[in-house]
Amino acid sequence: MSRTFRNLPHRVLLTLWLGLVVIPYVWMLVTSLKNQQELYVFPVRYWPAHPTLAGFAQLFQSTPFPRYMVNSVVVATSTCIIALTAATAASYALSRLPMRGKRVLLFVFLATQLFPAILLVIPLFVIMRSLHLLNTYGALILADSAFAVPFSTWLMTGFFNALPRELDEAATIDGCGRLQAFRYVLLPLVAPGFAAAGTYIFLYSWNEFIYALTFTADTSARTLPVGLQTFMGEFIIRWDLLMAGGVITAVPVIVLFMFVQRELIAGLTAGAVKG
Amino acid sequence: MVRQRGASWCARLLGVLLVVAVSGWLGVMPGTAQAPTTVVNYWLWLDDPTDPMFPALIKEFNDTHPGITVQPQVIPLAQFHDKLVTAISAGSGPDVSRFKDWWLGEFVQAGALEPLSSYIAHWNGRADVIQNLWNTGRISPTGLVYMMPHQFITFYMYYRKDWFQQAGVQPPRTFDEFVAAAKKFTDPSHNRYGFGLRGGDGGQDQWLAFMVAGGARMVDPLGHVVINSPKAVAVNQWYIDLYRTQKVAPPSAPSDAYAQVLGAFEGGITAMFAHHVGSSVLVTGKLGASAVGVVPIPVADPKAPATMATMAGNVMLRESGHKAAAWTFLSWLTERGAMDEWSRSRQGQLPVLTSLASSSFYQTNVFFTTSFDEAKYAITWPGLPGVGYVSAALWQQVMQQALLGQISSQQMLDRIATALESK
Amino acid sequence: MTDDARAGAARPSPSRARADRALAYLLLAPACVLLMGLIAYPLLRAVWLSVHDVRLLQLGTATYVGAAQYLASWADPVFWTSVRQTVIWTVGIVGAQLVFGMCGALLLNKPFRGRAFWRGVALIPWASSSVLVAMMWLWLLDSNYGVLNDVLRRLGLLHTAFAWLAEPATALPAVMLAAVWQGTPFFAVMLLAGLQAIPEDLYEAARIDGGGGWAAFRYVTLPLLRPTILITTMLRTMWIANYMDLTFVMTGGGPGVATLTVPLYAYFAAYKRLAIGAGAAVAMQLAVALAGAVLIYMRLLGSVEAVE
Repeated sequence: MSRTFRNLPHRVLLTLWLGLVVIPYVWMLVTSLKNQQELYVFPVRYWPAHPTLAGFAQLFQSTPFPRYMVNSVVVATSTCIIALTAATAASYALSRLPMRGKRVLLFVFLATQLFPAILLVIPLFVIMRSLHLLNTYGALILADSAFAVPFSTWLMTGFFNALPRELDEAATIDGCGRLQAFRYVLLPLVAPGFAAAGTYIFLYSWNEFIYALTFTADTSARTLPVGLQTFMGEFIIRWDLLMAGGVITAVPVIVLFMFVQRELIAGLTAGAVKG
Repeated sequence: MVRQRGASWCARLLGVLLVVAVSGWLGVMPGTAQAPTTVVNYWLWLDDPTDPMFPALIKEFNDTHPGITVQPQVIPLAQFHDKLVTAISAGSGPDVSRFKDWWLGEFVQAGALEPLSSYIAHWNGRADVIQNLWNTGRISPTGLVYMMPHQFITFYMYYRKDWFQQAGVQPPRTFDEFVAAAKKFTDPSHNRYGFGLRGGDGGQDQWLAFMVAGGARMVDPLGHVVINSPKAVAVNQWYIDLYRTQKVAPPSAPSDAYAQVLGAFEGGITAMFAHHVGSSVLVTGKLGASAVGVVPIPVADPKAPATMATMAGNVMLRESGHKAAAWTFLSWLTERGAMDEWSRSRQGQLPVLTSLASSSFYQTNVFFTTSFDEAKYAITWPGLPGVGYVSAALWQQVMQQALLGQISSQQMLDRIATALESK
Repeated sequence: MTDDARAGAARPSPSRARADRALAYLLLAPACVLLMGLIAYPLLRAVWLSVHDVRLLQLGTATYVGAAQYLASWADPVFWTSVRQTVIWTVGIVGAQLVFGMCGALLLNKPFRGRAFWRGVALIPWASSSVLVAMMWLWLLDSNYGVLNDVLRRLGLLHTAFAWLAEPATALPAVMLAAVWQGTPFFAVMLLAGLQAIPEDLYEAARIDGGGGWAAFRYVTLPLLRPTILITTMLRTMWIANYMDLTFVMTGGGPGVATLTVPLYAYFAAYKRLAIGAGAAVAMQLAVALAGAVLIYMRLLGSVEAVE
């Protein structure tokens, strides 16, 4: 297939595609640096003559954005820990331990991804309310964990299955119990899968919107996406502030993502190819 | 190797995040304040969230009431209803909330509001409140008061005084004069339009203003829903035609919200737009007092004038655990000092106190006097539970569909009537 | 992925086997508890809610109404509008993502310097919050100050301030554009993995047989990529049909009902009309429709695998 592409068209198309990906972010950054006079100029000015960080300053000093960031970190990290633990335990069992109905169980796990968020958010709201978890971190952490577990389990199971049984047996011969075999032999080798699943869970929880919107009422537990949406309602004519908020929302994710994207892609695609 | 390097980065990153998360959870845990005072949570929207009036007002209250600390939470009006409903359902609503008469019927039916009549009976500020405004806080004329009046608005119309003078046109008083004036200033080739029709979010108030000015009513004196009567259908068709056939409104009118109609007027795109005294400071600030004039909403029949009025009041939530403190704050807002500060601010609306209404500041301001004059014949939304849904979502949906020619005037009003009549 | 069929391996002792089974249940417990409590039980609760009239501000009271709420949704013309628009939304976005994703995968398949890095960059939209994507595109599509209109004006194709998101004809395509932009990289990366699994010698064979680039694509690439395409398309269809974040933030379902899809319709019923039961009834119908779609995909996938 690659033979049909001579170098130049390939380069051009690639640049075009990557440019389309990057341009909205760059434009957001540029807008966040404009002062109010330059913001609504006609025709559009593509480079600010007087760039300023005033928007960011205002964002940190007089809006709840710092609180939103803390909330997002708390929720996403906690979700990561809980979901990863549950997923790793479950995938180890599915891969290494004898039991009936493994395929059915895995299928059921995946089937849970079928249900629309909107279907489950309504009864979950009622359930969280009776548990007095609404408007706390707990509601978001539980919901996000539950929805992240099936895919992570499937991912990790694939990684465990890729490691030959002989490794377990070799460790057993050396005198290790199951736990030590897991900890010293399997875990280091499955670390990339760990990273992939962990990143997926973190991103999912960080970006999650519908549950965060309906389960939180005020700023105490509100996460960044909902905070940004609320902010939009208030400052819809202040695109400089909105874009500054967007930059703050985007940058941590982009940085994190670029660090772990190799592992994440490897994990995601392993499943797609093997099926 | 690269994979393992990435994995160890992940581990380190997770460690850092864990530290932040734990300290975040411990240090900033949501919950009640540790202070020995009673905390009163107050939710509100502000047309201008950067106005320094409001933080100063809260500070004044907190300083003068040592046992109570008010913690405000500002939420945009467009999301206010949804967020308040969700919070109350979740059991985490505020103690006191700013409130619109749109939602009164819905919330009272659900039993979410604390009746204020017994508190008011023992309040020495009650005589100063303009007496017929108490009805805006009731859902039936003889029922209990659930909402304390606070900021009142009647809808009037801004017009470009400079344009009108230059063209030698009188500001319109009747529907016919209005359409003629709008046509005169409409020139699409120069991006000029006569009237900034607001079909987008929040436009239901000015729509109702024109509807009642044209002789239509939401409910008849017996309380039956008549918004889909032939008369109403005709007035609604007239309103729709401003956009569709007369074409005196900008093409973006069906989805224009406050920011757009205000921006169009300030930017010299429209010659007239309907709003209320809350924006008078903003508008005259941008264009200058000599360029901005104000008239009552034009009426179909000068012998039977009408416009619409709406009350933004304060309510106490039934689930509040600090009702006494909440009442202290709630009533303080409607006392003379706080009321005067609020009404004089750059988003101030009509004060609801007779002592203030007759004071010189308001009597020498044409925007206030026009509004007060209109208050004599202004009509408010009925206290039906269905008004909540109509104002939160339905009106915008059907108004846009009608403006875009997808449904007829009759269909639009039938849908609103159905929502108003539902239990 | 196979069970523990170890031909010729020693059988573990019965007590070991029992301990293993107990351990298996123990290890599976956390995941199962989470799923039972937060997915299975709410699902049953949703079914219950869909046949009861429950109001958001009065969650203590519920009246049994049978299928009334289902029937009410069928009687609402806006419901059918949202169904039609959901089909357009899903088919349009998934189709566009498939086509552009295929192009992207082919572009990334050819090695070039920094490929691993740029592949990561290309995925950033997929990793971004939907509110962020919505906001960036709102600004790009702004009628007066948006980049899109500015470019069109400079090219002489536009003369007025065209409001993409306020015109009923262009509102849905505009939001779909943002969704395609956000999700195409995921498709590209999935398809790329599938492409890279195709052995080179198959292309050699095609070339020797006299086929050109297009023939190689049609007879080698596509058939071998079919399972990957099917799985990815199935996952994306489910996800896109349920996706309401963009429409919620960008247009709120408007202008009129032009961008209203079924999940958003259900959300409005529950949270604006305060009719929780009615919202659940609509959401149930969406779930059933998607289950049907998945079954179709599974049969297609099964038939593909049977042929392999």
